[in-house]
Amino acid sequence: MSTLIDPGLMGDVLKFGAADVTACYSCGNCTATCPLADNDASFPRGIIRLAQVGLTDDLVSSKELWTCYQCGECTTKCPTQADPAEFMATSRRYAIAHYDKSGLARVFATKPAVGWLLVVVFAAIFAGFFMTVRGPADANALVLFDFIPYPVIHWTGIGVMVLVAVFAVWGVASLARDMARKDQVTWKELTGSAEGRRRASKALWYSLGIESLGQRRYREDCVDSAPIEPLYRRRWLIHALTLWGFLGLMLATGLDYGLDVAGIKATGTPVPLWYPTRALGTVAGLALLYGVTWFIIKRIQRAGVASRTSTPMDWMFLGLLWVTGLTGFLIEVALYVTPAPTWGYWVFLVHVAIALELVLFLPFTKFAHAMYRPVGLFFYSLAKQRTDAG
Amino acid sequence: MSEQPNSTDDAAIPERRIGVYICHCGGNISDYVDVEAVREALKDEPDVIVSESPVFACADGTQHDMIDDIDGQHLDGLVVASCSPKLHQVTFRNMSNRAGLNPFSYTQVNIREQTSWAHTHDRAGATEKAIGLVRAGVAKTRLSVPLVPLVVQTKPRTLVVGGGIAGLRAAIGLADVGLDVLVVEREDQLGGWMGRFGPTFPRDLAGRDEIAALVAEIDSRRDITTYVAAELTGKSGSFGNYSAEITLHRAQGDKVLTLEVGSIIVATGFDTYLPEAGEFGYGIDGVVTLPDFKALVESSTGRLTRNGKQVRSVAYIYCVGNRQEAPGNEYCSKFCCAATIHESIQVSRLDPTVRQFHLHRDVRAYGKAELLYSESRELGSTYLKFPDDEPPAVATLPDGRLGVTVVDLLTGRRELTLPVDLVVLVTGMVPRENTGLTNLLKLPLGTDGFYNEIHPKLRPVETVVDGVLIAGCCQGPKTAGESVASGMAAVAQSAAILKKGYAELDPLVATVTADACTGCMACVSACPYSSITPISWDGHQIASIDASSCKGCGGCVPVCPEDAIDLLGYTDAQMRAAIEALVKEPVG
Ligand code: HEM
Ligand code: SF4
Ligand code: SF4
Repeated sequence: MSTLIDPGLMGDVLKFGAADVTACYSCGNCTATCPLADNDASFPRGIIRLAQVGLTDDLVSSKELWTCYQCGECTTKCPTQADPAEFMATSRRYAIAHYDKSGLARVFATKPAVGWLLVVVFAAIFAGFFMTVRGPADANALVLFDFIPYPVIHWTGIGVMVLVAVFAVWGVASLARDMARKDQVTWKELTGSAEGRRRASKALWYSLGIESLGQRRYREDCVDSAPIEPLYRRRWLIHALTLWGFLGLMLATGLDYGLDVAGIKATGTPVPLWYPTRALGTVAGLALLYGVTWFIIKRIQRAGVASRTSTPMDWMFLGLLWVTGLTGFLIEVALYVTPAPTWGYWVFLVHVAIALELVLFLPFTKFAHAMYRPVGLFFYSLAKQRTDAG
Repeated sequence: MSEQPNSTDDAAIPERRIGVYICHCGGNISDYVDVEAVREALKDEPDVIVSESPVFACADGTQHDMIDDIDGQHLDGLVVASCSPKLHQVTFRNMSNRAGLNPFSYTQVNIREQTSWAHTHDRAGATEKAIGLVRAGVAKTRLSVPLVPLVVQTKPRTLVVGGGIAGLRAAIGLADVGLDVLVVEREDQLGGWMGRFGPTFPRDLAGRDEIAALVAEIDSRRDITTYVAAELTGKSGSFGNYSAEITLHRAQGDKVLTLEVGSIIVATGFDTYLPEAGEFGYGIDGVVTLPDFKALVESSTGRLTRNGKQVRSVAYIYCVGNRQEAPGNEYCSKFCCAATIHESIQVSRLDPTVRQFHLHRDVRAYGKAELLYSESRELGSTYLKFPDDEPPAVATLPDGRLGVTVVDLLTGRRELTLPVDLVVLVTGMVPRENTGLTNLLKLPLGTDGFYNEIHPKLRPVETVVDGVLIAGCCQGPKTAGESVASGMAAVAQSAAILKKGYAELDPLVATVTADACTGCMACVSACPYSSITPISWDGHQIASIDASSCKGCGGCVPVCPEDAIDLLGYTDAQMRAAIEALVKEPVG
């Protein structure tokens, strides 16, 4: 069967970055050096090829995009300076945009000025909205949920989550469908038999547990190119702290809500530092801030191939995360200050606005990797189990 | 004309003093041939005065010994039994000359390629064969007569056939070394292919401008005369003294000039391969050849357009008519990869958004063209390698675009269909139709149809026809730079022939024994070089052979019913004596 190619693909991908990739002459050195290209996967070379010859569907549904951890080994070995690692990053942006039906991701990736404007506008809308509904700012103690009434935050949050879920589910489902088609994996095969279910759950565990939470290959295989960085700024660690920190904050918020629903503690009630949900939140917030700050420093220093090329999409994600983390931490500080500082209220407002924006933009920004990587890793595990079974 | 002894009767042969040297060639000969036994068998042959068996006959020291022997023993004949004459005949002829011995009284016997190497498993048989061969050599030498090279005066003028880049540059080179030059160009205009081209690789210089510069230079030279719309239609005379008949095609009718020249440089160039109908879709609108595409790119200003329509994507199919048995040719045309890549860069400069796919079996952008290959990729060209036995196919797609279906080895052998606006068939070079000229000059063609040089490395511009040199693509595919270089080589070779003012010709030519010739003229048609003409002698007609144009091929000898023709150096008597010696009862 002959596949009709899209001659415009490469030109379109180049709008997302990877300006040097056209120099690639398919020698395969990059695939040979990539520590993660195993199980007969031919990446990054094979994926570059898909873009070069115009196989759009194959490119965007490549699980290889998501099993590449951007270590940059390939780029250091490329004889044509085609920067294959940057190509992989670009193709991830391209895939995110492809599976985003709103068109926002494409704007963020290809029209940075408009993108930044949107970030500011959305933040302003959230902030403006909270300004209009805000209550009194108590001067003695920081009563944040009086300043922005709790139900307002609660319901806005739920609204944003529903909106995000629609896009996220749509994106994840389409990607999973395309990857399954490409690898000839069927729903029936996965659920129809005990063996299929065993494989599927193993893949799920691998993808979410071992790789997403455990970050195993990031840690073990994906070494920064020499010289190896000291542990405190090694990429896998700062990523793990970012990720765990983020999840920790989500968990703390969730628990708080749970305690409220269970009538144990109303949200917003002042509690001492050792109180479990507060302790978790503080530690997680610090971890997130630590990780994200290092990512930013490394990008400013252009340390290593992985941080050498930065696009607005990288900065946007780091920026939103960092502001969320920092403002969250400042609120913690403000809670200790007596009498309650008025800046605490304004920091809180910024925090809520930006955090909501971060979540709202999840499917359209680099944040989307948090939902697509697990899909890719799931199919990677399935394929590997197939090979291992022979 | 000279008379030759025509009998093998021993009494008629004057006594000779011959030296025989049987070479060991290190061990190349002596490992398989009992060299000492050969010497033993030869040392008492009649007229053999000296017999030696050196380790290396060609060594300087051995040559000195030979010179001493010739001098001291008053030798008048020499036989060296060693390797092929192709290797050392000239060596020993020169040595004979230095020793004062006529070089044509020297005979080389090949007992290496024809004996030791051929019979490595039969030492006795090889030795026996060597003895026979050396005896034959001695017998032939006993009947040798001193011969002197024929000296002819040469005309300091060269005719260049073909006014393309190679011919024009050669013309200036010839003038630079002080030779008169005539340039004959078949078309109405000088310049050939390059004269029609805009920017060309490697450095974007326009072919047109390069030709214009050469033509301006030629116009300023008084010793170069050019004729356009003109052809070489006749040639007579011999090496150094050709008389060339040039026909000028003029509106008023043809005009014929006869001009004397010493040498001829043929630089008639090439044609481009014309695909067969249906070959890679040739014939479908939008499927064009490389020269057509080049013209298209050059005529496009702003965007790349064809018939008023913008071209957004191009597929190049490489090696059309090349590197395959049929249709087309088996050789590689050398220039086309680089030319296509260069053209694709021109396209990218015109409009960087044009998507270009290069479908190839290999990219042979050798040497500095490698840089163009990189540049084209960086500008966005994509290269697809298809398997030798699965060539691409071209068809029209339902939407009107062209569909090129190709198996890409680098995309895991996937079969892809590329929808494109234009398909360029990268056509190579084919030999130009030139039968008239080829027959006129008697130039040998290779199986590929291009003119054959004598030796691809050592004598790349000379042909077997003395004084006729080949330059540029008429000899085989070349880039413009290589064509000019071969033109300059032809200049050097022309100068080597003509600047002395005279030429020495090999005296090994055919002669007619006037008394025996009945004038039947059967020999005339046997001579491929038209060297035999009737003359009247002693009241009747006989054949006469022009020594300066005779190549000594011997074609006429067996044709003569009267045995009236002999080949000097290889006379009937000599050959007969050699055969008799060869079949003489072997020793031991
Ligand atoms: C769900 C599983 C996840 C996996 C397997 C994963 C993996 C990765 C990998 C391999 C990279 C480096 C490549 C790149 O820059 O694109 C990366 C980048 C990043 N990830 Fe994750 N990630 C996950 C989820 C998350 C989450 C939940 C967060 C935090 C909110 C997060 C935060 C980041 C950040 C900030 C970067 C950017 C690093 C930089 O700018 O250099 N990731 N992730
Ligand atoms: S990206 Fe570089 S190393 Fe990889 S195939 Fe292309 S040229 Fe080779
Ligand atoms: S960046 Fe690292 S993981 Fe990604 S393709 Fe290159 S070598 Fe492999």
